Amino acid sequence: MKNNFDFERIWESKRALRRRLATAPIIEKLRMLDALHERAVAIRGARFREATAVREKPGRYGDRKEKTS
Amino acid sequence: MLNQIEHDGVIKRYAIGGAVGATFYLEPVSTLDVDVFIAFKPQQESIIVSPAPIFDYLKRFGCKMEGDYIVISGWPVQFLPASGPLLEDALDNAVEVDVEGVPARVLTAEYLAAVALQTGRAKDKAHVLQFIEAQALDRTKFAEIVERHQLVDRWRDFQRQFVE
Repeated sequence: MKNNFDFERIWESKRALRRRLATAPIIEKLRMLDALHERAVAIRGARFREATAVREKPGRYGDRKEKTS
Repeated sequence: MLNQIEHDGVIKRYAIGGAVGATFYLEPVSTLDVDVFIAFKPQQESIIVSPAPIFDYLKRFGCKMEGDYIVISGWPVQFLPASGPLLEDALDNAVEVDVEGVPARVLTAEYLAAVALQTGRAKDKAHVLQFIEAQALDRTKFAEIVERHQLVDRWRDFQRQFVE
């Protein structure tokens, strides 16, 4: 095993994985999404970092204008 | 369930958007909720738009409320009125996808990217980049949407910042 990292090879394998996942059957992707959701909920439950976490504002869909006055 | 709400006339039309919608075109991305864009029937549009009829309907099927969300099959679902020309257009042009024999209506990749471009948070920009990297967009259709909905400047800024 080489003791240096071949980043180009690593990026390419990541790209290949993403391509494979993107073209997977939708039902398989939805199952993965379920698993990711469960994990995200579990991580969100660990709220000890809450006070220092940088948060983004919730999204505003549509093109309604902010009130300026 | 979404098809049932539409069939029973509680809403006029629905389409899945956000990260779950994007999963139909890209690799799955972790998300906490499901965004469902909806249009109401004409007689409902004249009054203040309220999600109450949807919630009341779903509660009859045992769905529970969690803040602004209603939980369907373990997922917090947020119903968002398709307000504004872009979202109305996106909903009108949403496509039906077969999920193991069940039809699901989803925004097209081009509209998902355009809505993300318009919304403009960091994670929305990341979604736009994902669509570009995955070559999931029909460039011609996307350019038409960008032009039709006055997103040309945003798109130019985005390209300058992330693509060029």
